[in-house]
Amino acid sequence: MATEPATETTLQGPAAWEAEAEREHVHGLGPWRLGLRRLKRNKVALLFGALFVVLVLSCIAAPLWADKVAKTTVNANHLSDTITVDGKEKNVVGLDGVPIGPQWLKADGKFFLGADRNGRDIMVRLLYGGRNSLVIGVVAALITTALSIFLGLISGYFRGPTDTVIRALLDVMWSFPVIILGVALGVAFALGGLKIGPLHLAGDSLLIPIFIIGFVYVPYMARPVRGQVLSLREKEFVEAARAQGAGPFRIMFTEVMPNLASTVIVFFTLLIANAILLESALSFLGAGVQPPNPSWGTMIDEGVDRIATAPHLTIVPGLMLVLTVLALNVFGDGVRDALDPRAKVRLER
Amino acid sequence: MGRFIIRRLFQMVFVMFAVSVLTFFIFNVIPNGDPAVRMAGKNPTETQIEAIRKEWGFDDNLIVQYVTMMKKVFTGDLVSYFTQLPVGEEIIKGLPRTLSLAIGAAILWMFVAICFGLYSAMRAGKFADRFLTIVALIGISLPVFWIGALMNYYLGYKAGLFPNGGYVELTKDPVDWAYHLILPWTALAILFIGFYSRVLRSNILDTINEDYVRTARAKGLSERQVMVRHVLRNSMIPIVTLWGLDFGAVVGGGAILTETVFDLQGVGQYAAEAVGQLDVPPVLATTLFAAFFIVLLNAIVDIVYAYLDPRIRLQ
Amino acid sequence: MGMLGRRALVLLVAALSMLVIAACGGDDDSSSGSSGSSGGTKEGGSITISQTSQPDYLDPALSYTVNGWEPLSTVYSGLIGYKRANGQAGSELIPVLAQDMPKVSSDGTTYELTLRKGLKYSDGSPVKASDFEHSIQRVLNLESGGSAFFLGIKGAEDYVKNGKPEADIPGIETDDATGKITITLNGPDGTFSNVLAMPFATLVKGDAPFKNLTKDPPPGVGQYKITQSVPNRQFVMEKNKNWPTDIPDDPPAKIDKITTLIVKNAQKQAQDVISGKLDYMQDPPPADIKPEVKAKYSDRYREVVTASTYYMFMNTRVPPFDDPKVREAVNWGIDKPGLARLFAGEVTPGCSFLPPGMPGYDENLDTSGCPWGDPNKPPDLEKARQMIKDAGVDGMDVTVYGNNDDPTDKVTEAYADMLNKMGFNAKPKILDGGVYFQTIGNQKTKAQTGFANWFQDFPHPKNFMFLVDGASIQETNNQNFGNVDDPEITKGIAELNKEPEITSEVADKWKDLNNKLVERAWIVPYGHRKLATFFSERMDFDNCSNFSPVWNNDYTSWCLK
Repeated sequence: MATEPATETTLQGPAAWEAEAEREHVHGLGPWRLGLRRLKRNKVALLFGALFVVLVLSCIAAPLWADKVAKTTVNANHLSDTITVDGKEKNVVGLDGVPIGPQWLKADGKFFLGADRNGRDIMVRLLYGGRNSLVIGVVAALITTALSIFLGLISGYFRGPTDTVIRALLDVMWSFPVIILGVALGVAFALGGLKIGPLHLAGDSLLIPIFIIGFVYVPYMARPVRGQVLSLREKEFVEAARAQGAGPFRIMFTEVMPNLASTVIVFFTLLIANAILLESALSFLGAGVQPPNPSWGTMIDEGVDRIATAPHLTIVPGLMLVLTVLALNVFGDGVRDALDPRAKVRLER
Repeated sequence: MGRFIIRRLFQMVFVMFAVSVLTFFIFNVIPNGDPAVRMAGKNPTETQIEAIRKEWGFDDNLIVQYVTMMKKVFTGDLVSYFTQLPVGEEIIKGLPRTLSLAIGAAILWMFVAICFGLYSAMRAGKFADRFLTIVALIGISLPVFWIGALMNYYLGYKAGLFPNGGYVELTKDPVDWAYHLILPWTALAILFIGFYSRVLRSNILDTINEDYVRTARAKGLSERQVMVRHVLRNSMIPIVTLWGLDFGAVVGGGAILTETVFDLQGVGQYAAEAVGQLDVPPVLATTLFAAFFIVLLNAIVDIVYAYLDPRIRLQ
Repeated sequence: MGMLGRRALVLLVAALSMLVIAACGGDDDSSSGSSGSSGGTKEGGSITISQTSQPDYLDPALSYTVNGWEPLSTVYSGLIGYKRANGQAGSELIPVLAQDMPKVSSDGTTYELTLRKGLKYSDGSPVKASDFEHSIQRVLNLESGGSAFFLGIKGAEDYVKNGKPEADIPGIETDDATGKITITLNGPDGTFSNVLAMPFATLVKGDAPFKNLTKDPPPGVGQYKITQSVPNRQFVMEKNKNWPTDIPDDPPAKIDKITTLIVKNAQKQAQDVISGKLDYMQDPPPADIKPEVKAKYSDRYREVVTASTYYMFMNTRVPPFDDPKVREAVNWGIDKPGLARLFAGEVTPGCSFLPPGMPGYDENLDTSGCPWGDPNKPPDLEKARQMIKDAGVDGMDVTVYGNNDDPTDKVTEAYADMLNKMGFNAKPKILDGGVYFQTIGNQKTKAQTGFANWFQDFPHPKNFMFLVDGASIQETNNQNFGNVDDPEITKGIAELNKEPEITSEVADKWKDLNNKLVERAWIVPYGHRKLATFFSERMDFDNCSNFSPVWNNDYTSWCLK
């Protein structure tokens, strides 16, 4: 038949990789080295991974830019100040409240990307804001991951009543409207701070959006983890450990958990991307990072009211946000294809 | 099957109950000021504040307060602390707007995603596929409020191609209704188009290599017939499931940002305003409203799935 | 049926349900204002205007915001009102439903008025003197924000405590046959005539129920009547045919029908006024659109300085502001022209607490006579820094309170930064506008310093000075946010409030109190708000657009070109 040989070569996408994995397995390559090899071959993913690293590094270098180039601080207002551009004196903020646009290098690096309504240097705030956005994204993703692994492990391993309770808990969390809940908690805590026993958080603490975002995504990750644990606990190596008299927690953490690694890694990158997006949405609705601290979301929120007279206030932080999230998504996509092509990772809401 | 449905309905009621209890207690435990003082408005006297406190039962214990509040939810007597306007009526007023936005956007994203996903899968590995993949990933990375605000200003006001936000009822003028909603639909759909076309593409690629597809090809069916009759049909099942879940999630809160940016004044925007003021009755009601849609669509999807795949019922 | 077939069915059902859902309910919010205008005439026509949010109430007993009063002042009238005139002339009290201004007894406690003959509500029923008592009963019984103004009436406190709506208020005697109304106060109150002119004291029918009537506003006596009210969507006002034409200085309206849409996005409102979809926006056009408006449509745009003051309160009970030297330092160091920029030029820098147009206002204070340097010039930051250092509080933590209204949040951040430049370690705390004043007005919050402003309720200095009156300090819902308690000022307010009339002599005494307040650095006033008004091209801006110092834009003066 004419189509018969064609099917071999028309293997595409994940299926093709699985076929490849089988072939490679014959040559004795482990799944991790195989994944790494595939990732190395995915130039686009690597490129965006590198872009993300560059973005992170530049945000880390924020104080350097503020000190050496812009010669200001992140929250310093320059409402009544002037700068000299091409020998002419210009108001940082006009009498009608319109801030100066991007100056690039015309003012020796001051107001490289323009000023905001308070006459603060947008470039400086962009970099510092990036720090906040990234810290929130990464720490929230860590919290989600830790909680999801924990809940998924005990739920999937013990089954029975434990499982029922945890699944009900996840159902309830899943059914909470994410944004309403996030904004409500954000607003309430910003008003009064947060007191849990000896722990006291001020209303403007970054930990508040971090905790909110960290909790929100738990059901999205805990459910697939639980499913995986359910099947792993029946595997021979778990049986063997059990036969040797290992306790349930030892089995969970030393035998089962390492096998969750590829799922966790795939989830983790995409979780960061989504946490950053959610943070920006919360900040846009006034419940994320509290002023005067910048984040990309709060900067967009401040900008949209001035989109006609000062479009840079909206466009600049938005582009930065999109670029970062895109870099994480493309890289995460590559990692998934490399490690676990059939993984159904889903976070968007 | 009947037992499964009943069990699923019980689960629904339980989740709704838990959501209502949690929401209520969260807003009564965290510090957000004395509602009686807030309701009293500008320069009230102590007597007035006392009267309000008594009338609303703020001095009762929390369980009694919860029961009172839930009674009001079901009898429709719930009113906002700030405006004293009935919460139920406000939600009903916003509902057609939220549903217009959500349903239109859902149709749009499904349609476009099928086109993108199919085309991408058929050209897998080629330039068109890679291009669409990047486009899809960009779509997933765009914050809806940002792209919405840009679209509203540049396409709506500056270029004058579309209305600059606002809503017209369908009954008044269906064309104008759709015209006003084009931008919001697009803004809301972008994210889902990106995601769905990716999922569909990989589903199709999985299906293409299944035995029955090879058999169909072997039978000499045209590539087009194979694609539509066998591959697409089977790749659609998980997508339709997602569609149900996402529709619930969008009605139940996902539309907040879009509604706010385009000033559609639906339930989401109402929720966002109430939440900003920590106005507990509307926050509770809109949370329940949102949770209801999420839970309902979840249940429907589960039941449909159980109908299609009897193994699930036994779990 | 295969999967695709089933999906098609789902789509069909979805589409159908969308039709059904969208068909039932909801209200239009984009109808254009281009209906029924007869062209060149000055009378008649209908217009569509907008507000950014639903007015707090469309019930005269309850509404206590500019957004509510601007429309309600044309729908409800009281015994006394203000002259319908442009500018300062509009702050003159005139008898409206009463035949004359009240006859006040020599001890200042009894007010006698007589109702005009033949008055009718918008539904045609006659106006009775006893309706006045009913209207005040509604204010007191409904826990209205305005009830505090009427607690000086004899027996009003007991009436509130009693809680029975139909109980008699001993201090109000009415006679339906003669139309005579006599009000007895516990003590003299110089503001009471102004209080009688507030919307709270306007007349509604004696059978108006004791509840919030926003959804179905009660009939009143006014140039307009509210014929439709859908909260959060729109309300419609139509010309009231029963309005008497013979009341001097309160003539009938010209436009037949005014539809007010609630459009939450101010940008969209301004864009729609530009394009003619809307004829007027109640809020000023947002700063973002203003440059375009000023450049292209200045012929239908206007800015008026209102009787308002923006100031920073400093809590005199909490360090570091318990030290007068520190308060002085802040007055030296605050950058008033800088703050004015955040208002997009809509604030005139100044340092007088009493606003322009108010008896006792001293223009000198807002210019070169300001003890803290010319408010239009940059501040003396060096001096402020030195004083704070000398007071030994440099580096101290300060929380600066503000709310999230535009541009208050930015103003709060800028003020915090100014305090930092003076040597403090200040941080802004931004709360939602709906809870802000209650929060800082609670002594437990111990708010150190922050944003405050005041727009006059009526043109009487007491209406401003009570904000810095030691006698008005409360545990909760305090309006004297800084707990200002200067014995001399407190005593002066109490004494001047007994004066039944603001003669030039009395006004000078108020002026003196205002000067002391500013010189002693109790607060930091930094300017007075200008209010921008923007009309569509159809409106006859030049001839028909009175701006009242009390109600802002006067709808009854409007006409189409």
